[in-house]
Amino acid sequence: MNAVFCMMLLVGVAAAAARGRLSAAQDALLGGGAEAAAFCLSMAGAYAFFGGLLGVLRESGVTGALAHALRRPLFRLFRFAPGEEQALSDISVNLAADMLGMGGASTPAGLSAMRKMAAAGRQDGRASDAMLLFLTLNMCSVQLLPTTMIAIRAQAGAKNPADIVLPTLLATGVQTLTGIALCKVFAMRNKAHD
Amino acid sequence: MIDSSCLLPALVVFSLLFGLHARIDVYRAFVCGAKEGLLTLLEMAPYLCAILTATSLLRGTGVLDAMEDALSPLLGALGVPSGAAGVVLLRPLSGSAALAAVRDVIAQYGADSRAARFACVISGASETIFFTGSLYLGAAGARSAGYALPAALLAYAAGVAAAGFLIPA
Repeated sequence: MNAVFCMMLLVGVAAAAARGRLSAAQDALLGGGAEAAAFCLSMAGAYAFFGGLLGVLRESGVTGALAHALRRPLFRLFRFAPGEEQALSDISVNLAADMLGMGGASTPAGLSAMRKMAAAGRQDGRASDAMLLFLTLNMCSVQLLPTTMIAIRAQAGAKNPADIVLPTLLATGVQTLTGIALCKVFAMRNKAHD
Repeated sequence: MIDSSCLLPALVVFSLLFGLHARIDVYRAFVCGAKEGLLTLLEMAPYLCAILTATSLLRGTGVLDAMEDALSPLLGALGVPSGAAGVVLLRPLSGSAALAAVRDVIAQYGADSRAARFACVISGASETIFFTGSLYLGAAGARSAGYALPAALLAYAAGVAAAGFLIPA
């Protein structure tokens, strides 16, 4: 991430200098942070609401039941190192909320899962295979119904706003399965190197 | 077609019933959870600021347009309509910028054009890879994304190719 970030900034400033558009670069640099702040404010309500709902579901034992139900498939998928299964409940909530398109509920659970798995692992700042697979799943979408896109298409007067649902679902599926397969291959390759 | 607007009210009733059944203090649980949600947002803010600043710089200085021109033959070979190439490049970087780009494609080509449908499908089928990566790794205190970044980017390319194949002209 460090390399990506530095590269983006360097290339951007260099391109602006080469084209004599440094004032555009200045506006863009200051605008990005403002965009981030505006986004956070606009999401605050949703994050509070979903966080609250999740709090109720956790206290009343629903998320625990979900984790119990998903225990077998998740164990098979992640092959947790000892101690990492502490994150099972958070992982279940994260994936379920992601499927339903509730970012406000999935992100807190996802970060909590990463913290728990990091605490269980070796303390050398390297992420374990289960952590990297979980991260990859979150970097691929697992949302089942693209509600935002359907709404945008309906607004724009599309003949059938929902006709993108099936291709979206299939593209998501291809992406997620490819991500899982690549993680397994890379993990195996790393193990062979060690 | 399922009406997705009934999902949330149903979930609220469901949560409430379970909470009452488990005899917990629903109000207190909600407030505690809401606080946690807002703290998560606060944790996200610096990462979001970093990636949006870098993305905004690349957009404002024309680097992204140049990349779009340079990559359009490759994207075209994957079945990406030329109007939607910008969305494909923006989607891993910024959700809000990609959304604005989708609106532009719809305005320019029409909601039922192949470019617009492709833009919607790829936006709905993928995530903000770089932001999610830095946020989750930051929470874990890990410095390197290991193989997760190449895995996610290659998976994204596979998703783009699948969308190109699946969406008829």
